[in-house]
Amino acid sequence: MFQPLKSWQWLLIATAIVVMALVPLVTRNSYLLHVFILTMIFGIFASAWNLVTGFAGLKTFGHHAFFGIGAYASALISINAGLSPWLTVWIAALVATVFGLFIGLPILRINSMPHVAIVTLGFAEIVRIVISNLQSITRGELGLWGIPAFEGFNLPWIGEVNFTPADKLPYYYLILVLLIASVAVIALIMRSRTGLAMIAMRDAEEAAESLGVNLTRQKLLVFGVSAFLVGVAGAFYAHYISILTPTAAVGIDLMILVIAMALVGGLSTLSGPLVGALILTGAVELMRDLDDYRLLVYGAMVILIVMFLPKGLVTLAPMLTRRFASHSSS
Amino acid sequence: MQSPTQASLLKVDDITMAFGGIVAVDKLSLTVKAGEILALMGPNGAGKTTTFHVIAGVHMPNSGTITFDGQDITRLRPDGRCRAGIGRTFQITQPFAELTVVENVMVGALPHHRTMAEARAEARRYVDMVGLGGRADVLAKGLSTGQRKRLEMARAMATRPKLLLLDEVTGGVDMKSLPGIIELVKKLRDEGLTLIIIEHNMKAITELADRAIFMNRGVRMAEGTPAEIASHPEVIELYLGEGDAHA
Repeated sequence: MFQPLKSWQWLLIATAIVVMALVPLVTRNSYLLHVFILTMIFGIFASAWNLVTGFAGLKTFGHHAFFGIGAYASALISINAGLSPWLTVWIAALVATVFGLFIGLPILRINSMPHVAIVTLGFAEIVRIVISNLQSITRGELGLWGIPAFEGFNLPWIGEVNFTPADKLPYYYLILVLLIASVAVIALIMRSRTGLAMIAMRDAEEAAESLGVNLTRQKLLVFGVSAFLVGVAGAFYAHYISILTPTAAVGIDLMILVIAMALVGGLSTLSGPLVGALILTGAVELMRDLDDYRLLVYGAMVILIVMFLPKGLVTLAPMLTRRFASHSSS
Repeated sequence: MQSPTQASLLKVDDITMAFGGIVAVDKLSLTVKAGEILALMGPNGAGKTTTFHVIAGVHMPNSGTITFDGQDITRLRPDGRCRAGIGRTFQITQPFAELTVVENVMVGALPHHRTMAEARAEARRYVDMVGLGGRADVLAKGLSTGQRKRLEMARAMATRPKLLLLDEVTGGVDMKSLPGIIELVKKLRDEGLTLIIIEHNMKAITELADRAIFMNRGVRMAEGTPAEIASHPEVIELYLGEGDAHA
């Protein structure tokens, strides 16, 4: 991870970006674009969760709180203060960051991972209940609607860009840019000295500290950055879906889905959460006809992958190549 | 061997460290002069490793003070003590399993360098110095016990310490590799380091230590050259049992 990228890796990254950018040229199918947009929202969410849990080793199960805080903060500020969503997305992400630092503080002093899991889970549940009950502001489970869309603008050559429910295209490109930026931020952190210190902290905390790693700073940094990114994803979601309920935006189901994505794709890798987000979001949609049986298929899929590919789907290709190579040489 | 004018690098003054009702270290004082190797000896449970932990900042002592290089470090956390110039290894090795050997060492080297490449180059030198050059790009989880002990030393060296605490670097190392480890510790001393070592291996102690402190049940029982400690009646009694003291 800390060596310069090889040329085939650059090529792979460039290909992935180009393919994603060209999807709308192949299909303008509104439903398909919607699935891709959800995939990319989850891609940011899962990557940011992976930063804390996979790379820094802090097992948190409360990241859906930051998604909900980002979504509601951006929606409420844009509705009540009349500010542009282009601005409130960032304000909301900062609000999520403040909460991330707030929950990061007690975690600094807890060494037992099951306790970290419970504290963060409990925190998210508190956030959900507060949003549910603040009906005068959030309308609770009735749903917060009337969330303004992003304002349109003029692009040279392309012309007018309008964010309307009828046209998914602008949303598609906006979330693609946000996804690329988020993954780039995470990659830059992980390849820097901070990333090295973070993995050291994960593998042997006491030893890392004895080598001069400031654990307090590392943990707060990783929680802050992660909460910010999840907050951005949540805020985008609010202005894209344009209606929020506590169950949909802060529900535990969200967190479970994101954990499954990271596990299926590959925890502690950069591409794993993205692969997982694509597969699981796609699978959920493909299996809509199966009704509740899809949960069965879904569960079986997660179990099989965790059993036979414990490091996720991204390890499949290198594994097959090695098998193939050893077969052909013998 | 040491001239009396040499200043003390580390001064541990009247340290008590209790866990609940168990007093692991009881009013212990010791000083270490710059450039010397001090051995901590004693049976299991004597408080040697606890003493290390108190010096390295893992435990805050209940009472007493620690002065290092003229600075009171009693309240500093382990990372602060590392920056002050205290390096350490762990008795039960703690490699960063998913990092390569050279990356393990880079963690210690980074604060002294502006770029990753510089840190990597320096880390590489320490990896070579401890004899792991051939395994520099292997993940640390693939190392043997002896190699892990060497990695611990390389990592600690990369923080450029003035004082290095070595916790049983010969423990679990086979007889064949022992001379190599002893040579390595000598090399560290020749580079100007001051060392405190916890050792059970008498051969290692007599070859390395200028001075030894014998601990039992958290208190200092004897102090002197390794030879003096080895012939101390109470020490012999503790190790060999009563009645054999004059054997």
